[in-house]
Amino acid sequence: MRVLVVDDEPDMRDAVAMYLREESYSVDTAADGKDGLYKAQTWDYDAIVLDVMLPLVDGWKFLGELRKSKTTPVLMLTARDAVEDRIRGLNSGADDYLVKPFVLSELVARVRALIRRAAGKAKPVIEIGDVYIDMASRTVSLAGEEVSLTGKEYSLVEYLALHLGELVTRTMLYDHLFDEHDDSMSNLVDVYVSNVRRKLGRDLITTRRGQGYIIEQES
Amino acid sequence: MVKSLRWRLQIWHAIILTGVLTIFGTVVYSLHWQTRLQQIDAELDRMAEVLGARLRRLLPPGPPPFRGPGRPSSSSTRSGDGRPRPEFPRPPRDQTRSPGERPERPDLLDRVDHPLSGNDRPGDPTHRPEPPRSESHRPEPRRESARGDRPGRPPWERGGPDRIPPGLGLPEEFQHLFEGEDESRFYFVIWGHEGVVLEKSESAPEVPYPDLHMGEAGLPVRNVRVRDNWREVIHVSRFDVNVLVGRSISNDLAAEHRYGALLFLAGSGVLAAGFLGGGWLSARAIRPISSMTTTAQSISAQNLTQRIDLQDTATELGQLAVVLNGTFDRLQSAFEQQSRFTADASHELRTPLAVILAHTELALSRLRSPEEYRMALEACQRASTRMKTLIEGLLMLARFDSKRAVLETTEFELAPVVHECVELLQPLAEPRQIRIETELESVRMRADRSRVSQVITNLLTNAIRYNQDQGSVKISISLDAGQTLIRVSDTGLGIAGDELPHIFERFYRVDKARTRAEGGSGLGLSICKTIVEAHGGTIHVTSEPQQGTVVEVRLPVVA
Repeated sequence: MRVLVVDDEPDMRDAVAMYLREESYSVDTAADGKDGLYKAQTWDYDAIVLDVMLPLVDGWKFLGELRKSKTTPVLMLTARDAVEDRIRGLNSGADDYLVKPFVLSELVARVRALIRRAAGKAKPVIEIGDVYIDMASRTVSLAGEEVSLTGKEYSLVEYLALHLGELVTRTMLYDHLFDEHDDSMSNLVDVYVSNVRRKLGRDLITTRRGQGYIIEQES
Repeated sequence: MVKSLRWRLQIWHAIILTGVLTIFGTVVYSLHWQTRLQQIDAELDRMAEVLGARLRRLLPPGPPPFRGPGRPSSSSTRSGDGRPRPEFPRPPRDQTRSPGERPERPDLLDRVDHPLSGNDRPGDPTHRPEPPRSESHRPEPRRESARGDRPGRPPWERGGPDRIPPGLGLPEEFQHLFEGEDESRFYFVIWGHEGVVLEKSESAPEVPYPDLHMGEAGLPVRNVRVRDNWREVIHVSRFDVNVLVGRSISNDLAAEHRYGALLFLAGSGVLAAGFLGGGWLSARAIRPISSMTTTAQSISAQNLTQRIDLQDTATELGQLAVVLNGTFDRLQSAFEQQSRFTADASHELRTPLAVILAHTELALSRLRSPEEYRMALEACQRASTRMKTLIEGLLMLARFDSKRAVLETTEFELAPVVHECVELLQPLAEPRQIRIETELESVRMRADRSRVSQVITNLLTNAIRYNQDQGSVKISISLDAGQTLIRVSDTGLGIAGDELPHIFERFYRVDKARTRAEGGSGLGLSICKTIVEAHGGTIHVTSEPQQGTVVEVRLPVVA
């Protein structure tokens, strides 16, 4: 899962980005609205954490511009807690709203929920055969036994599971699993896929040769 | 309900209306009755005149009886001494009068003919023959004695009215008025002197002898009296002949009562209409007040945008509404300023607090390397420092606001203070290669040294922060018109004209986010202004976008 954090306060931005990375998200950052908007319009992020008070392009304008082309879920951050501000944020197209100061774990939970809802899954669990994915605790179990996955492996399974029955290209996977500073080779995706197959069984992820991967919907 | 202005208005209105209507009704009623009585009297008079004229033709001509002046009662004198009347006949002057002409007795006339005198009749002293004496002093016995015991009467008296030949009759045109069973038909009675009934109509009831006598100068007397429901006019002419014409006024009284009842009904109607109209009027008058009350009630800290509907600002209530709306405007702006300040202050405090919370949470979420802990602590320190600056600024402003701040004034040389400030700020200017130039005259002044230093620091910080790289900042101090002039100019971006009026507002930022990244609190200029004004000085900013900004502070040399 790839997330964009836009905040002009360096200490705040660093803390949020670091926490999200530790939760196995790929995180890009932007220090002002202009840079953030450029990134948001260029890449398909799974979610955007957006501070309202931004230099150059403020949060409201950012949202207005973004919504012209993208439906990326946006979590707005602000130090203003006036009801009008919250209403304005939600009305301008924000999907959720968090008032500073906040607890980082809450921010992550909200980001997770946003991603899940954007994929059309209201429940935090996905069951595919005997594979059980708990997105709240970020764990995967196979036939009742918890399987230990690395962050990237889990993200891969979660991403494919959220796009159940849809073909996911290797580029998409790459974009969502790695951040802007990651210049790993794209065949790393294949490495993760083979690792997951080793741990969860060969049949879970189907390869569409030349196109990408898919977790088939149970019939 | 009695406390309600509207009801009180209503009640007062009703009371006044009732009073006015009562007075009006009473006046109308009594005037009407007087008019009626006058009409009746006129009729009776006319009839009496006619009868009198007839009588004069039948009676022998003779002098009228002499009446000495001051003679109180004719009957007692006459029956007492029984002396004959002095015999110097006078020509009956009233014979020459026309029936309508009035005798020349203003005093008597005034009483008799005054419109209001009819009701006063019982108390009227001129109304001598009162009903009580009617039975005991019947004229009949006296007539006997008058005839038998006084043979020596003058012939005109003896053979006068007593022997009035029958056939006085009645004028044809009046006859029917005295006939019939009508309750209000007329009657007449004519008495000769000594109370002998000479003639009376069939319709006449028992009528006591009025026993009236000619006036002092032999003038005819006219009198009006009321006996129960009888209205009677008595004319006295020659030989003291009393001609009484009367009629019952019970029908008139009844009509008058009906008229009164009608008046009462009409008055009640007017009263009711007035009451309803008053109610409508008072409701109308009160309505703007009610709407004002509703509006004023609905205005609260949450809803300050309501205003009283202004329909007619020229009326008293309209003016009140204008005044109230003005008050609400001021209240709203004060509230908005307050809530904006609170929101800004909380925003400014929340941001560093969020940093502290985020970094501590991050650091504690797992075991970290010493380097990571160090980074987290440094971030917390930066945030705490920012909060401290902010809180100090807010507290200072609050102290000045509540007038609790005390200036510790000392006398000092200003130039060294400026040098200190410049030195302190060099680290801020150097990375961006901004030059700080000074042009300092020697100025001694009395002021709070640390506050003045704070002003200079704030101004220089702004000048550096909003400057361009490799720009310059110039600070000069001089004496100008007996004041210390501190002038700080920069080569920065300048401030747009529409922003200038706001720059002294708390938390106002020209570029809202840029300054935050650079650590400004948004309070610098408002703190400067507060301090300068506390010293009795002024602060003035001129700026041209892209040309730089000049701040001039003028402080009294002796604060």
